[in-house]
Amino acid sequence: MQGLPAIQDIVNLAAKIITSRTFLEIVVFPGFLNVFVGAALLTWLERKVIARVQLRIGPLYAGMWGILQPIADGIKLLFKEMIFPELADAKLLMVCALGLMMIAAAPVVAIPFGDGLVIANMDVGLIYVFAAISLFPTLILLIGWGSNSKYSFIGGLRSLFQQVAYEIPMWLSVLGIVMLTGTLNLTDIVRAQEKLWFVVPQILGFVVFFAAVLAELERIPFDLPEAESELVMGWMTELTGAAFMVGFLAMYTKLYVMSALITALFLGGWSGPSILPQPVWFLLKTFLVATVIVIIRGAFPRVRVDILLRTGWTRLLILAFANVFVTAMLIWLGFGWFWRV
Amino acid sequence: MPDIAFLALSGLVIASAVFALEARELIYGAVGLGLSLIGIAGLFILLGAEYLAMFQIAVYVGAVVVLILFTIMLVERERGRIVEEEEPVRLGRAGIYVAGLVALAVAAAVILLAPVSPEAPEFYRAPLQELGRSMASSYSVALVILGLLIGATVVGGLTLVKIEQKEKTSGTAQ
Repeated sequence: MQGLPAIQDIVNLAAKIITSRTFLEIVVFPGFLNVFVGAALLTWLERKVIARVQLRIGPLYAGMWGILQPIADGIKLLFKEMIFPELADAKLLMVCALGLMMIAAAPVVAIPFGDGLVIANMDVGLIYVFAAISLFPTLILLIGWGSNSKYSFIGGLRSLFQQVAYEIPMWLSVLGIVMLTGTLNLTDIVRAQEKLWFVVPQILGFVVFFAAVLAELERIPFDLPEAESELVMGWMTELTGAAFMVGFLAMYTKLYVMSALITALFLGGWSGPSILPQPVWFLLKTFLVATVIVIIRGAFPRVRVDILLRTGWTRLLILAFANVFVTAMLIWLGFGWFWRV
Repeated sequence: MPDIAFLALSGLVIASAVFALEARELIYGAVGLGLSLIGIAGLFILLGAEYLAMFQIAVYVGAVVVLILFTIMLVERERGRIVEEEEPVRLGRAGIYVAGLVALAVAAAVILLAPVSPEAPEFYRAPLQELGRSMASSYSVALVILGLLIGATVVGGLTLVKIEQKEKTSGTAQ
């Protein structure tokens, strides 16, 4: 009976850890469960909204309005056989697909879902999110190379070109916000918007950032890496079964995370009338942004690679610089105190 | 707690660096390099330089490793597998082992000779705003010179592309 107290201690410790706020934050609410459920809900939302845009009904039979469809899809994909092409690097594909999921979920730790409801309140939160996101095309290129298929490889290369086109305008477009608030901490950035959301004084930055996010998420009109009519499924062509599920879910996780980032940077984050709690406002805005991105998919055609590059380097970059200039003028004219934390 | 993180990160850095050197396939070498750089970014965070760590990830892993991967993929005409099965150069191996021994000796000397203080000194964590202020004031000249350097590099690259295009068009015209 010597071992029993030790077991009791371990059980107590486990209970303490599980009920602690940090654990709940990491695993349940702003953390991973929230991200996965959000991403799965977004797959359903996308199918439903696109169906309505095209005068169809969309998922209907699984649960109310087909809301259980993501679960059915997940079970189906989990039980499918994983087929890899001859000479494909199966290990590399698996590792990279899992890495995509990890990197897509990583930025969540820095995004505040409420005042103080953030896993890691970092001083460099904004740069952290961008740094994590910038690893995506690397893994996509590796998947494209490892698949030993021309469609996948072209998709991976296109993803790289796309990064060249969007990344610099994306970093520059949020510079105005950083200049106004004087911080890179996302919680402080949201706090600074209590009086006026940044979408108003930073409207140019918002437009550039939104376009860059569309390119970043590989959504229509910038879905070149997975252009279905040209490249079958782009870099995802040779992913099957569970590997495909992970890669696909990673893309929707990224959609969720970037919608949340747009909400936090430009749409006031958690702020809203106090009839609803802060996280609810945040989630409402996030899903609204995601819905707009989905509707854009239903409404626009795809652009060509060279047009995307030209847009990124001539239009978006110049707009981003103009935004920086306007913001500097605002501060110079003495309006800077309004948003400073 | 930081000790465990430090040990894990150091292990990651060293193991992936060895993997990068020893990998038979160049692509795996590049992946190992990327992992090693991520581990170094983690070490920067432990030292209190988060800003540096984030740019380490964004620039080195997000851009430089991609460039290396891209080059490898463009150069290797034969898909994938490297076919040449060379005998590893014995002398090179010996060099690696000697270098490892020297590194061990240096590490042992440092560990044995360095004064071991029971409480490690707190690292000075510069606030981000202070960092930005010093970059914009006392280091502004260096920053501007770096910017000029990068700008000159971009212009040089564009000029090279232009020259090549001109040669190509004139070649077809004749």
